[in-house]
Amino acid sequence: MSNLVVPRRSLMLGTAAAALVPAAAFAVTGPDVGKPAPAFTAVDSNGKSWSLADLKGKVVVLETTNHDCPYVRKHYNAKNMQTQQREAAAKGVVWLTVASSATGEQGYVTAQQANDLTKSRDAAPAAVLLDPKSQVARAYGATVTPHMYIIDANGVLVYKGGIDSIPSSDVADIPKAKQYVRIGLDEVLTGKPVADSSTRAYGCTLKYPKTST
Amino acid sequence: MSRLPAFLLGVLVVIATALPAFAQSVVQTDNVRAELLADVSAVKPGEPFWVGLRQTIRPKWHTYWKNPGESGLPTEITWTLPPGAKADPIVWPTPILFEIGGIINYGFKDESMLLVRITPPADLSGPLKLEAAANWLVCEDVCIPEEGKFELTLPSGTAATPAPPATRTLFEQARRNIPTESPWPARYGVAQSGDPTLVIDAKGLKPDTISNVYFFPAEWGPIATMVRQNATVDANGIRIPLKRGDAKTALPPLLAGTLVLTEKTADGTVKQAFDVSAKLDPAVANTTSLAGAAGSEELSLVQALLFALLGGLILNLMPCVFPVLAMKAAAFARLAGHDRAEMRRDGLAYTAGVLVSFAAMAAIVLAIRSAAGEVSWGFQFQSPIFSLLIAYLFFVVGLNLSGVFEVGNRLAGVGQGLVARGGTTGAFFTGVLAVIVATPCTAPFMAAALGFALAQPAPATVAVLLAMGLGLALPYLALSMTPALQRLMPRPGPWMDRLRQFLAFPMYASAVWMIWVLTQQTGADGVLYALGGMVLIAFAIWLLGAGSTASAGTWLRRGLAAVAVLLAFGVTLKLEDRPATAASASGSATGGVNFDGWERFSRARMAEAVAAGKPVFVDFTAAWCITCLVNERVALETAASRKAFEQAGVVKLKGDWTNRDPEITSVLKELGRAGVPLYLYWAPGAEKPKILPQVLTEAMILSELSSSEQTKR
Repeated sequence: MSNLVVPRRSLMLGTAAAALVPAAAFAVTGPDVGKPAPAFTAVDSNGKSWSLADLKGKVVVLETTNHDCPYVRKHYNAKNMQTQQREAAAKGVVWLTVASSATGEQGYVTAQQANDLTKSRDAAPAAVLLDPKSQVARAYGATVTPHMYIIDANGVLVYKGGIDSIPSSDVADIPKAKQYVRIGLDEVLTGKPVADSSTRAYGCTLKYPKTST
Repeated sequence: MSRLPAFLLGVLVVIATALPAFAQSVVQTDNVRAELLADVSAVKPGEPFWVGLRQTIRPKWHTYWKNPGESGLPTEITWTLPPGAKADPIVWPTPILFEIGGIINYGFKDESMLLVRITPPADLSGPLKLEAAANWLVCEDVCIPEEGKFELTLPSGTAATPAPPATRTLFEQARRNIPTESPWPARYGVAQSGDPTLVIDAKGLKPDTISNVYFFPAEWGPIATMVRQNATVDANGIRIPLKRGDAKTALPPLLAGTLVLTEKTADGTVKQAFDVSAKLDPAVANTTSLAGAAGSEELSLVQALLFALLGGLILNLMPCVFPVLAMKAAAFARLAGHDRAEMRRDGLAYTAGVLVSFAAMAAIVLAIRSAAGEVSWGFQFQSPIFSLLIAYLFFVVGLNLSGVFEVGNRLAGVGQGLVARGGTTGAFFTGVLAVIVATPCTAPFMAAALGFALAQPAPATVAVLLAMGLGLALPYLALSMTPALQRLMPRPGPWMDRLRQFLAFPMYASAVWMIWVLTQQTGADGVLYALGGMVLIAFAIWLLGAGSTASAGTWLRRGLAAVAVLLAFGVTLKLEDRPATAASASGSATGGVNFDGWERFSRARMAEAVAAGKPVFVDFTAAWCITCLVNERVALETAASRKAFEQAGVVKLKGDWTNRDPEITSVLKELGRAGVPLYLYWAPGAEKPKILPQVLTEAMILSELSSSEQTKR
């Protein structure tokens, strides 16, 4: 019987196409590492506009956030996130925290709330971008908070994935985990390829606008 | 919302005070009630038993599978056990797919039970204390990590004591929800685009009975989490185009995951889940169709139309269309040097004729779809009748090409006059004729194409078919529009006849191959019927072609020819009646039904055994019936069931309905069944058999056998 299918396939190549459905339109699909990072423009909590195109020549980190997410809290409560933000700033890296929860969803913040959070958590990003329509998150295919991205000085995406290697909400796991972003940044800044360039991101599901799906 | 947890909490307090020993085995959080259960109430040292972490999840909330998908985390259990005791990894139930805000996850809703096998120490004395720390992530719109500490103390004794029936039922349900090991081998390969394709070598499946096929990859990384997978099912098995995941590592030599599908059986639908471990096989990518290589996922309608256009162009190479080609070429030769406008009109009219015919075909397809709901064409590839008819078709077309008779003139029938009329009307009907003449030759291919088109929304179906029509008409259209091309046309001449005669040979070869396919389906007798039928057809053609003007002779010849053709086609009835055994005995084609330990079913054997007062179990099965296969694996062929059958002295009969057996069909009909699976159990001395459910469990078989044992005593 197997022989039946072979000629059917080869003679039918044209018509078989009819069976093929376009990829599911609403799935979140992100860019690939090694490719140019998607462009974006967003306004930060102080009203300043940031555009990836303007950051050429600098290494950029994107960190999606939702301050009420237990996984985000894990890394802020343990000061892991803030420490890495300061380390990055000291090396000239532009660290952008992106508040991508849609308006009305958990983690949505106004400019004032974002600034208050930065203060109360003693955070040190270059800026907190307000992304209430989740446009930046969608462009990068972010699925969780925190979802981390590193873009090199040429605007190429060189890392996407988790902040570290142990997916848990337990603060005690942080010292044991491999800190992918810190290691990745070191590699980028010393001109090496990022060894773990795409890892599994873990955290809370990113709160995209409900109407969009 | 908040009342339910409060109520549950109240219940818990009551339970806690009533049964202090079990108090710590239940944890109630805001969103999940979790309980640690054991399938024994007393353990035997060294003898493994099962525990389950049962999670009752708040409505609309979810917990996660071992591969949680694009977000989420699987439940984790950390055990603290006495020295010498061992806990195996979690055995996961079959997950479901859910989507929140465009993010796809694999997990559980409402309730899940995570099973873990525990082996107590062999030197255990006194009770066994199990401590588990579990943590899980539970999400609706928001995600909350939760945790619980559980403690379960079980007394030990010289023999294990089963848990109370209510608990055993929970375990029974949980086991039913665990994927079974796949009965078929699986392979996967990677196309040039980098996207993998999974192939399940399940021969002989009935495509029209299988739906909702989805492969859950066991791990994040190699395979992307997809909203939908466009699996195709045919007689060779299941083919699932997947997407490469985000992990940058090489694809694993073994791709593990869970395959789910829904099978339509005579009594409704059954959801099945299999654990699949697919070997990396480069050959898989090589056999990927052109469409698949182009990245079947991303193929847009525009691309689909382009492929259809190409398909239409290829139809021009079909030998059947050749007579029309010749007519057309002759017409062009005639028209050469004529008015260019006339030529253009001619080409346009021909194109219109082709397109109208294809539109009519699309209308028929859509009408069938709306009338029959889901139409499937897969069946024809399993049917020996189909193989035979196609063999006849190839043969007849071959005879035509050899010049034994003229199809172009005969088939045209009504249209002939119109075609001969010439001019614009003639050209239009030549287009119609081209489609009509092309159709029988391309039927097997067209049928499959239409089958695929059927899966599309109506506008896409029409568009694809029209594109194909345009492809068929395109060469003439181009010729009539561009005089430069006309000059390149070879002059019609004797070479056309010679080419045509040559083309007969591929047709004969195709017929030979179809007969071989037929023998795979029916055994050696198929050759006799097929070749005999061909002789009859050739005879009929000869009769009709033999020149005689006497009307009586004409009628006689026509009558004889009709009888010969009827006989040739009557052979198909003979094929339908062929017993299944030929195919399943010859083996590989259908995958085969395993008769190991079973007798072949016959009504006489059943009656004899029943009359002798023996217990009789009858299993009606088929190689293409997935539910049957699963039942055999999980219920009928387990060590415990085999032993129980043997102890009870049951006569085990198996009826193989793979290729429809009249005797079995009649039994099914008597019992009001349209198909398999069907299980009959005659208790010793019973007057009537009991019909068991179509989804069996080992416990069901054991209890059925033991209850009849008791009545015997």
